[in-house]
Amino acid sequence: MSSSNTLLERRYAALGLMLIAPTVLVFCAVIIYPLVSAIYLSFFNIFTPTLEGEWVGLSNYTELLQTGQFWSALGNTLIWTVGTLSLQIIFGIAMALVLHQNIWFRSLARSLILFPYFISTVVAVLVWKWLFNDLYGIMNHLLISAGIIDFPMDFLGTMPNAMVSVILVGAWKYFPFVVIAVLARLQSIPDALYEAAKIDGAGPIARFFDVTLPQLREVLVVIILLRAIWDFKEFDLIFLLTGGGPINDTQTLPLLVYQEAFALNDMGRASAYAVVMMAIMLVFMIVYIRRTRSEEGS
Amino acid sequence: MAEVVFSQVKKAFGTFTAVHGLDLHIKEGEFVSLLGPSGCGKTTTLRMLAGLEFPTSGDIQIGDRVVNDIPPGQRDIAMVFQSYALYPHMSVADNIAYPLKKRGVGRADRDIAVAKTAELLQLTELLKRKPRQLSGGQQQRVALGRALVRDPKVFLLDEPLSNLDAKLRGYMRVELVELHRRLGRTMVYVTHDQLEAMTMSDRIAVMEGGVLQQFAPPAEVYAAPANRFVASFIGTPGMTLMDGELSKQGGTWRFDAPGISMDVGALNDRAEPGGACLGVRPEHVSIGQGSINGTIQVVEKTGHENIVIIGLEGGQRLTGRVPAPQSWSIGENVQLSLDAEQAHIFGPGPHGPRLNLPSNIATPDLKSAAN
Ligand SMILES: Nc1ncnc2c1ncn2[C@@H]1O[C@H](COP(=O)(O)OP(=O)(O)OP(=O)(O)O)[C@@H](O)[C@H]1O
Ligand SMILES: [Mg+2]
Repeated sequence: MSSSNTLLERRYAALGLMLIAPTVLVFCAVIIYPLVSAIYLSFFNIFTPTLEGEWVGLSNYTELLQTGQFWSALGNTLIWTVGTLSLQIIFGIAMALVLHQNIWFRSLARSLILFPYFISTVVAVLVWKWLFNDLYGIMNHLLISAGIIDFPMDFLGTMPNAMVSVILVGAWKYFPFVVIAVLARLQSIPDALYEAAKIDGAGPIARFFDVTLPQLREVLVVIILLRAIWDFKEFDLIFLLTGGGPINDTQTLPLLVYQEAFALNDMGRASAYAVVMMAIMLVFMIVYIRRTRSEEGS
Repeated sequence: MAEVVFSQVKKAFGTFTAVHGLDLHIKEGEFVSLLGPSGCGKTTTLRMLAGLEFPTSGDIQIGDRVVNDIPPGQRDIAMVFQSYALYPHMSVADNIAYPLKKRGVGRADRDIAVAKTAELLQLTELLKRKPRQLSGGQQQRVALGRALVRDPKVFLLDEPLSNLDAKLRGYMRVELVELHRRLGRTMVYVTHDQLEAMTMSDRIAVMEGGVLQQFAPPAEVYAAPANRFVASFIGTPGMTLMDGELSKQGGTWRFDAPGISMDVGALNDRAEPGGACLGVRPEHVSIGQGSINGTIQVVEKTGHENIVIIGLEGGQRLTGRVPAPQSWSIGENVQLSLDAEQAHIFGPGPHGPRLNLPSNIATPDLKSAAN
């Protein structure tokens, strides 16, 4: 940190610049440029195929805030995010606790558990659609033969079934991420803490709340923030599963952006939606950055 | 308060046996150290007593209960871990109060107990801090506080001082002994530091390879080690051990080794002519005159005394301890003598038993001082 600029220091500085320059260039090309142009486009009324149109100022924004579709999409996004994230966290922690036990199939189970996370969304959704099918799907078959329902259920074509199904498939797809992160943290909790708690008279439940959970808190905050950002902007899983239907009941903001841009060919409006989405996610981002920074500080 | 009894306790991890048929009877209120080299099974023994590890066979008794099937929380014990194992997210006060909380003690009573314990261990100023804001010695006192707050039947301590610097360790040794005196509770203390074991214990259980070698007061372990292993393990600088031949001449025995030959008087009835081992503590070597010839090889000056290593004619080496004014230069030829009264004879092999008669020990004053 000295301020004296020796030749050697200047040489190192030049080398450093040279080494990060490619990254900075790529970053500008793929992040900054699209970001800036999205904001720019949101002030125009643009026809997508030609990308031509006239300046409309803030009218894209005022319109979107007045249309019901934006608000219902925002509501759907929140329901989807909160629903699927809660399930991911609950199942993720539960499964991590199970896998942390010394069970004989542990190593096998650990690799199996990652399967939903690694499988491509398209494949996963096709399989789920097939399972959910009301004519030949195994879900309906099982439910009927178990006597729970008398007629096949429409899992994806009616509400609230469609939203519940989307949330469940999302939870299934992304809970392994929580499992892996929590498991890694669990393994670093010293055994002596549990042993001390045992001697101090704490039962299994007290040990979970007094030893395990406090140790997981930091990692859970990070997982929740990251997953919240990722779930908020989730597109392919919902688009492929329900396409936003029935009607627009599972249409989330990313789907709405897509619809405006490529179905209704209004790139300006779509950009405005995207910018608003980004503003909402910025809040999560800031919380996340502050959390991780304060952790590094302590 | 309670006695602790191990009866034929064995612990195997897979095919490896960590503790072999241990018999140990710890009296009520006694301070007992488990002492031995690394990996000898001290921690395993303590953990079995705590209920964190289960004996493969044999019984463990605390008070008048066999505790084999009783979970740790109900054994009425408290343990101080080598790593302290403080709950990192709880304040010092909450850490100390935790065992009380889990036993349903009310808030007001908890606060009183914590305040009392904190005062005893000089932690009052630190009650609001988190463990990571404490020094090693302070953390160690908190760990101790968490054990003391509950007044259990037996205290278990696993190398609680090993993470402290030498000065603090000396201080905490005194504190622990004082605490034991005041509380009068049974304490089982694991250490591989013989100084700790010697200075703190009523009795020391010396272990090696999972086998109990000797269970006796410190002075006796020092003055009459039960076998060659104990003799070599206890004492710094260590006892000189020389292999040689034992022969009987009338009623007395004679020990011969290259460069050394001495009458060792009467031995017990396990003694047999043939291979044996002579053990001499450094303080029982006098340099200046005698029938043994040697050459000074090393002189270590510690301030108030000098440790001298002498090469004997037969190639053996002998360690002596002399007051500081006496000094020798390296290479000097000296005559020396050994105090035959204080010499030990052990049977052959690394665990050869002590063959001296019991009356050969002059230790009554040391023993009463330790108790
Ligand atoms: N869980 C375990 N599985 C297998 N072997 C073990 C286990 N715990 C201990 N051992 C073995 O048992 C032996 C005794 O271990 P223990 O921890 O009791 O030694 P110790 O006397 O406390 O040594 P130290 O002074 O190094 O702490 C060691 O050889 C160790 O490798
Ligand atoms: Mg140990």
